[in-house]
Amino acid sequence: MEFSHDRSGDTLVVTASGRVDGSNASDFLESLQGMFDPGDQRIILDLGGLEYISSAGLRVLLMAAQNLDRQSKSFSICSLTEAVGDVFRISGFDQIINVFPSVEAAKQG
Amino acid sequence: MDQTYKILVVDDEPDLEPLILQRMRRQIRANEYEFVFAQNGVEALEKLNADSTIDMVLSDINMPMMYGLTLLQQIHGVDPNLRAVIISAYGDMDNIRTAMNRGAFDFVTKPIDFDDLKITISRTLEHLAEWREALSSRDQLVALQNELSIASQLQQSILPKNPPVTDKYEVSANMEPARNVGGDFYDFFNLDEQVGLVVADVSDKGIPASMFMMSSRTALKGAAIGVGDPERVLEEVNNQLHQDNPTFMFVTLIYALFNPANGSLTYSIAGHDPPMLVSADGTVTELPLTKGVALGIAPDIVYTQETVELAPGDTVVLFTDGVTEAMNANNEQFGLTRLADVFDGKAPESALAANEAVFEYVRNFAGDAPQSDDITCLTLRRP
Repeated sequence: MEFSHDRSGDTLVVTASGRVDGSNASDFLESLQGMFDPGDQRIILDLGGLEYISSAGLRVLLMAAQNLDRQSKSFSICSLTEAVGDVFRISGFDQIINVFPSVEAAKQG
Repeated sequence: MDQTYKILVVDDEPDLEPLILQRMRRQIRANEYEFVFAQNGVEALEKLNADSTIDMVLSDINMPMMYGLTLLQQIHGVDPNLRAVIISAYGDMDNIRTAMNRGAFDFVTKPIDFDDLKITISRTLEHLAEWREALSSRDQLVALQNELSIASQLQQSILPKNPPVTDKYEVSANMEPARNVGGDFYDFFNLDEQVGLVVADVSDKGIPASMFMMSSRTALKGAAIGVGDPERVLEEVNNQLHQDNPTFMFVTLIYALFNPANGSLTYSIAGHDPPMLVSADGTVTELPLTKGVALGIAPDIVYTQETVELAPGDTVVLFTDGVTEAMNANNEQFGLTRLADVFDGKAPESALAANEAVFEYVRNFAGDAPQSDDITCLTLRRP
């Protein structure tokens, strides 16, 4: 997994690429949460470079989403590839986590 | 240091004992080290055999009765976890090499430089402490693995055996766990005149997943008996699992109800891959997805259900993503297309044959690549 992030104002855009499965899901969560600043009000996770996500990876996103929700912060994901989009659609996670086609759309949403 | 280390000093020169006691008095007073002494290898072995609390041996090489190098060989037989440091004449490389080859941890040279000796002793004891910690971790790991294998047996034992084969319907099911304990399960049970069928996949694997799997299975069976319609069953189970779920585990599954009287199959899907239908003529189709979300993550989700009529010779294949995401050595996934190809143009003769075909194709595809996820498949065929 590789990460980068870009902060402007109270919006943090995290870009994650590679694969998330049971072997690195907890690292994924740690890296993700390590990037959050107390001042971030809106977190957008750009998964355009994500090739694969397993159920363990979905669970991490769920934990991050619920955690941010409790702090009344917004969390969304965007730019899903077809394969990852299928995982979100079939698992029903697209009904639980906000999914947008692009970072721009997520910023407006 | 919270532990006193006991060091056996072996030397035939009588003046070493008072010298060590004097130079190490601070460490002795601080209860860091305790020294015991032996005049030769034979006496050293007697002391080692009599006192199992000795941690380390500091031994001269040239001694009467038993040579230091011989003692080194014997020490290993007394306790392989003892550490030995050799005292040798300066520049006696041959003996030093032999001592190291026989398992000495380090060496110091004569005349003894006590600063060097102190460093050598403390380094040896640090190593010993790390070694012991590693040994204890290994023991704990072995104990944990034993428990895991018991958990695995327990989990396998709750999967129902002897799937029903009647003239109205045939069921076959199999689960191959990737690790000791997995998160997949299948189930089948009779409900009045109908048969309930389940294939499920719990998020992640290992012990937490297997515990969540146990509660999911119980909740589902309970709801299936009490509630009836698959969509209502999933609503009920979802709310039950969500109520007490601090770790955000979830389970994706298909619950299907087959009516042998008219061949109808009603199913509801919770975040899972839809079933595959293999018609009697060998046509393969993916059954429609129903509305729903993986169970346990959010309350009050609405689930829907679909009904299909199975004609004689039709087979329905329920599977987990361990099948479609099985990888080969080139990191390619088995995928839905290959799964469809298993049956394309060749309707299975029985539910068992259908099930075995899936596992055979996946195994052949994966080859020697390691299995990373549980693989589960349940087949239902109307004869």
